[in-house]
Amino acid sequence: MSKTRTNNIVLAPFLLFVVIVLSWELADKIFDFNKVILPSPSEIFLAFTENYIILFKATSITMIESILGFLLGSIIAYLLAILFLFSKTTREALYPYAIALKSTPLIAIAPLLVLWFGNGMFSKVIMSALVAFFPVLVNSVNGLNSVPKELLELMSSLSATSWKVLLKVRIPYSLDYLFSSLKIASSLAVVGAVIGEFIGSTEGIGYLINNASYYLDTSLMFAGIIMISIGGIAFFGFISYLEQKVIFWKRDK
Amino acid sequence: MDKTHIEISNLSFTYDSGIEIFKNLSLSIKKGEFISIVGPSGCGKSTLIRLIGDLLTPTRGEIKVENELNTKARKKGKFSFVFQDPVLLPWRTVEENISLPSEILISKEHYNPLELLKIVGLKDRGKMYPHQLSGGMKQRVAIARALSFKPSVLLMDEPFSAVDEFTRKILNQELLRIWNETGVTIIFITHSVSEAIFLSDRVFVLSSAPSTLKMDYHVPFSRPREKGLEESIEFIRSKKCLRQELII
Repeated sequence: MSKTRTNNIVLAPFLLFVVIVLSWELADKIFDFNKVILPSPSEIFLAFTENYIILFKATSITMIESILGFLLGSIIAYLLAILFLFSKTTREALYPYAIALKSTPLIAIAPLLVLWFGNGMFSKVIMSALVAFFPVLVNSVNGLNSVPKELLELMSSLSATSWKVLLKVRIPYSLDYLFSSLKIASSLAVVGAVIGEFIGSTEGIGYLINNASYYLDTSLMFAGIIMISIGGIAFFGFISYLEQKVIFWKRDK
Repeated sequence: MDKTHIEISNLSFTYDSGIEIFKNLSLSIKKGEFISIVGPSGCGKSTLIRLIGDLLTPTRGEIKVENELNTKARKKGKFSFVFQDPVLLPWRTVEENISLPSEILISKEHYNPLELLKIVGLKDRGKMYPHQLSGGMKQRVAIARALSFKPSVLLMDEPFSAVDEFTRKILNQELLRIWNETGVTIIFITHSVSEAIFLSDRVFVLSSAPSTLKMDYHVPFSRPREKGLEESIEFIRSKKCLRQELII
């Protein structure tokens, strides 16, 4: 990528951001919006400076829940995908349930999970894991089966065991698919954790936003939303960065 | 050179779908021979080399290599494949790709990767990755990988049909040189009649399925074969003769 192009990717969204914030601030000065409905950028910034300690604490709790849930969900999904490869029966038995789970809205299960696992971090980790699980499972199954037919023939002409085929060919081939799903799962995991905090929690950014809404503290709600979206972007960005490092042959093409 | 290397007797093969590909096919191939197979598409050329290499199991009949069944020969690492798509592993360097077979067939004797790179003319590319190579170079790496464990039969399924005409000519010359240096028996599938004649000792013409051996053509040109050969009248006559056999 050329330098000018990199500059554009960073510069263009930044300029747009500046323009939106300035016009918002200006519009607020002219029309004097109700602060409860729409606070101005400067009011949001004020809310942020007054509450930055609790905002950071809440965001880090939610991010920890998201990351743990993400890891738990994707590791189980990947191991299950490998198991499916070796046992068709397992796949046929479990796949319909995985789809049923995917089709059930998380928010419908959330109260049950809080009931079972309490309103601490653990129920949020489970919630994150549940949403992260499905895309990783589907993509890993596809990825592990994406090896070209000729390569598999080559391996069998060498009398390779299925274990060696898995290690030397299938797993590396699946990484491309795996990372696409990890990017989706990273965003979903944050959603899962926040939903969990809305349903039943005494900490985290979901709790903070929900609580601020009771007090009609809209500025703080905005500050919370901005914090968690930065957290989500950073998480996504980190996974994208890892993808570039791991699948280097795709990047250089 | 006269020793029988591969003996196919009364080979029949029917796909699960019920399509009969071969019925009582018998062939014999000598050690170190270069055989090309031509035939209409769908006639089972690819199926035949997969049967020989024990990737498919015959419905009836048997295939013997050096007097033992091909199943046993495969386990000893006697067969090697090169496909139209080089199917290199993109995360491995050229050298690492070539040494893949040595990580699987541990007990067998292997060429030194560097020596092999020299043989296929890629001496200084060992540390490069496949995506940094041209199509022709990738195919050379695939050939080097195929030869790395000193197989006795090299089975090639249209290996050069995806490269341009110019590269193909060069690769043909190279392949003949490699064949000469290693003494491996080659069975080579191609769509190109002139490629088949240029390379081979014999050309097998197959009929459409269920295939029979329509013609066992002994190529009348001495070796080494020079570049100009393809323009000679005799060569064109040979081509005509084979083409006619293919059309009927």
